[in-house]
Amino acid sequence: MNQSRTWRRPIALAMLAAVILSVSGCTGGVRASSWTGLTVVDERLYAADLEQVVALNAADGEPRWAFPEDPKKDGRGAFYVTPAVGEGHVIVASYVPGGGFFSQPRNIVWALDVETGNELWHFEDAAGQYVEGGAISGGLFVIGNSDGNIYALDVESGEPRWIFKTGHRVWATPLIVSDIVYIGSMDRYLYALDLSTGEVRWKFHAEGAFAATPALRDDTLYIGAFDDRLYAIDAHTGTERWHFKGENWFWGSPVIYDDTVYATDVSGNVYAVDAESGEQIWHHDLGAPVRAGPALAEDGSKLFVGSQNGTLYALNTADGLVLWLGESEGQVLSTPVVDGSVVYEMLIYGPHRIRALYVDNGREVWVHPPVVEEQK
Amino acid sequence: MFDFIAYPLANLMLLLYNFLGHQTVAALAVLTTLIRLLILPLTLGQQRSARRMQELQPQIEKLQKKYGKDKERLAQEQMKLWKEAGINPMGGCLPLLIQLPIMIGLYQAIMYCVPTTPLQLFQFSQHIYKWLPGVVGLVPLQSTFLGMDLGQPPNIAHWWSYALPLLVFATTWLQQKLLSPPAPSGDQSQTAMMSQQMQIMMPLMFGFIALQYATGLSIYFIISNLIGIAQFYLIQQNRSDKTGKDKKVRRPTRR
Repeated sequence: MNQSRTWRRPIALAMLAAVILSVSGCTGGVRASSWTGLTVVDERLYAADLEQVVALNAADGEPRWAFPEDPKKDGRGAFYVTPAVGEGHVIVASYVPGGGFFSQPRNIVWALDVETGNELWHFEDAAGQYVEGGAISGGLFVIGNSDGNIYALDVESGEPRWIFKTGHRVWATPLIVSDIVYIGSMDRYLYALDLSTGEVRWKFHAEGAFAATPALRDDTLYIGAFDDRLYAIDAHTGTERWHFKGENWFWGSPVIYDDTVYATDVSGNVYAVDAESGEQIWHHDLGAPVRAGPALAEDGSKLFVGSQNGTLYALNTADGLVLWLGESEGQVLSTPVVDGSVVYEMLIYGPHRIRALYVDNGREVWVHPPVVEEQK
Repeated sequence: MFDFIAYPLANLMLLLYNFLGHQTVAALAVLTTLIRLLILPLTLGQQRSARRMQELQPQIEKLQKKYGKDKERLAQEQMKLWKEAGINPMGGCLPLLIQLPIMIGLYQAIMYCVPTTPLQLFQFSQHIYKWLPGVVGLVPLQSTFLGMDLGQPPNIAHWWSYALPLLVFATTWLQQKLLSPPAPSGDQSQTAMMSQQMQIMMPLMFGFIALQYATGLSIYFIISNLIGIAQFYLIQQNRSDKTGKDKKVRRPTRR
């Protein structure tokens, strides 16, 4: 009994610490948990597949290369961000958790050869995690980081050309058009930066954080924010043209076809909005949380939206009605990609990482990794 | 796991953040204070139990001297003593166990409001009470405090952030020192030695957690510990005042 008295407080506190550790993942430091993304360029699909970056034949899913070849051996961290492809490079980022008592997690940008997947350079000066991918243009790779900085790295050498400090985390992929970088920050600003110098051309303030990539049509940028609004902004001056109020945050990037802007909010609402006036054309509630923005079929007839419940919805762009459903195990939290007659989706928490489906009917073309490998 | 607690707390934190001029640490301090007030009856019960234990220490020591070799008899006599004094030997443990889900929920709430991973943020996006005034567009809260990122662990770039684990260690040690009943004097038993070791191990463990996890959590630990320490002194002060008043009342009667 005496023992129970003297031990009860330490035991209870130890339990508290143990539970905190267990609910926190007990991995040491910040947990790396995010969705991954894919890019399709020149009939090849590049994906951040958590343990590896993979290049596959877009037509049949046949692997071309993987980086690192043996993830268990190399231990280069977890690859999340959507690969940026251009100028002969595939550029991704990884998160390497801290491994010891004082060991700090590392956040690394990797530049790989587009043909072989061999490492060309890496950059690990950023203090925070990379959440979304970067963009390549004019010999620069531009990417935002959770440390609040936007980094412009030389594509050939990986040397930083300029660093722009924002007031909060940067979880958005930039849009680069000619010599301007458009990028949103959690500090509630959408910035237009000079590509070569990083100087601010203009900045637009919203009532909520920006985590999406803007879409450009003529001289208007369309982007949603965490204030439940979809904005139309003059691309030259940064002044607001209109805003449309949704039901929840706009996290995914909108797409535009003809005179209509298509956007999703995180509650699972899909909106078609007139690009000129901001008036709603139609609205469809999918009934499941949606993180990413929609993708358009090349002929503009269908809209593809992935959801947390693992379903890829194909909607008719004319009225928002569901044409087909592509159900899967897992969650679809990154934006699907359409290339010709096939739509590609990236999954997390499922047996497969990538699925290719026919645009017309949702029939499966291939999956990665294939079932045979999964059963091994 | 404790989201049913975390979501309301996170929304309360948003509300406080809005009312306190968008100051994350101020919102965290007020929220921690509110939580400590909410669980005050539990904490008081725990302290009362510890105090009674302290008061019985001389008698326990006597029993240990008397039945030191007969463990079974010693246990029986101690149980009898506690029963007579109306003390449940597990009475100090239960309040701590009840506090656990609240503490974990609060930690999760902090991580929802100052998220470090997008999945945390996406999850929370489905649970924001939009009907609360001014909460739309608040998340993620401003995460910088004294140049540190509240959602990131201490790091070399912000070397001063390493002061937080030290403060967590110091305040946890002090609070535990104050709230733990002292071991009987000269008690060299294994139990007493282990108890002393735990008084160092627990602050070390919390210091280690502070070193590895978001600095926002460290700030919560420090504020919570400081409140616990202040609460201890207030209760002690209150007891002293009461004792003094009793004496003052009694004196005229004696005359």
